[in-house]
Amino acid sequence: MRPLGSRAALAAAAAAAWMMTLGACATMNVSSFVQRGVTFTQYRTFTWAPAEQLSTGDPRLDNNEFFEARVRGAVERGLAAKGLELVERGAADLQLHYHASISQRVDAGGADRQYGYTDEDSAPSVFDAGTLTLDAVETATNRLVWRGWADGAFAGMVDRQDLFEKQIDTAVARILERFPVNLR
Amino acid sequence: MRQLGRWTLLALSGLAALTLAGCATMNVSSHVQQGIDFTKYRTFDWGPADALPTGDPRLDRDPFFQDHVQGAVEKGLAAKGFKRAGDGTPDLVIHYHANITQRVDVNRLDREYGYCYDADCLVRVFDVEAGTLVLDIVDARTNRLVWRGWAQHSVQDMLRDQDRMAAKINEAVGRMFEHLQRPDMDARPVSARTGAH
Repeated sequence: MRPLGSRAALAAAAAAAWMMTLGACATMNVSSFVQRGVTFTQYRTFTWAPAEQLSTGDPRLDNNEFFEARVRGAVERGLAAKGLELVERGAADLQLHYHASISQRVDAGGADRQYGYTDEDSAPSVFDAGTLTLDAVETATNRLVWRGWADGAFAGMVDRQDLFEKQIDTAVARILERFPVNLR
Repeated sequence: MRQLGRWTLLALSGLAALTLAGCATMNVSSHVQQGIDFTKYRTFDWGPADALPTGDPRLDRDPFFQDHVQGAVEKGLAAKGFKRAGDGTPDLVIHYHANITQRVDVNRLDREYGYCYDADCLVRVFDVEAGTLVLDIVDARTNRLVWRGWAQHSVQDMLRDQDRMAAKINEAVGRMFEHLQRPDMDARPVSARTGAH
């Protein structure tokens, strides 16, 4: 990189970062899937299924206990707010699993156009995107009754623990907004 | 942190993403258990060797790489005031994991920094071998992770050049340990930290 005046460089970097981040934040995509015909009010308690050993695709997050605790804490608080109770393994109505997956994606320039940063031709870019998936399995039948997920370009935040944890909280809260029951 | 504006924080995180994508500089950061006090720990030892593959046969079971990482980490821990446990009952257990992943980099920095304008900008797409070195510090008594540091850098030129690899390992581990806050030791001059222990 050629040397630039520090103010100019900072301004350019900040603008680029802002654009990237805006694109990233604006596109957190949250959705869910509900098993048809299931009465969700019958579920009063939940527990965590044994942790999976699948890789997240990002070595910073594999076996990262801080990350795992943050996700679990946010889910537990969110479900408690909906009136579901966390219990010891085995006795709960629902078993929860979650999985995080980070992958590199290529943006062929569509986002820039969409947000009006450039007129016609936009440069492609690559970014790390992550998906956080939360599954609820009915203990009695061992079938998946609900899956919620959030998908977005949040991986750039992994390096900033405070921001990253807020992003996890936001993602989990938005996923749980879609959980189909509120017992309170 | 709190007094920084929201946009500043967002800009910084965007910068981190840019830096990572660019791979020109080493990306170093850490996660830490909230409220951890490292002054209560005195000794460390290595945990069982990491059985996970690195993702690259050139690095798997490479004794030079392993020796160099272990040496750099031991030096870094000594500088932070930790001693290697002699009796097999350390306060802290250390693990590390190295990973190499194929990534794609699109060079659009020229455009963003104003070196070229629209049609003049060539988009260069190239493969990057992105290496990540993760260092975990576990509380031996509770078996809980208390700190994780990592460094990320392109490794293609390193795998052919031992001296360069050694220098980059030193830089990676040294910069990781800058993230480990130990106020009592950090205040002392570097020369006083290693000698006395």
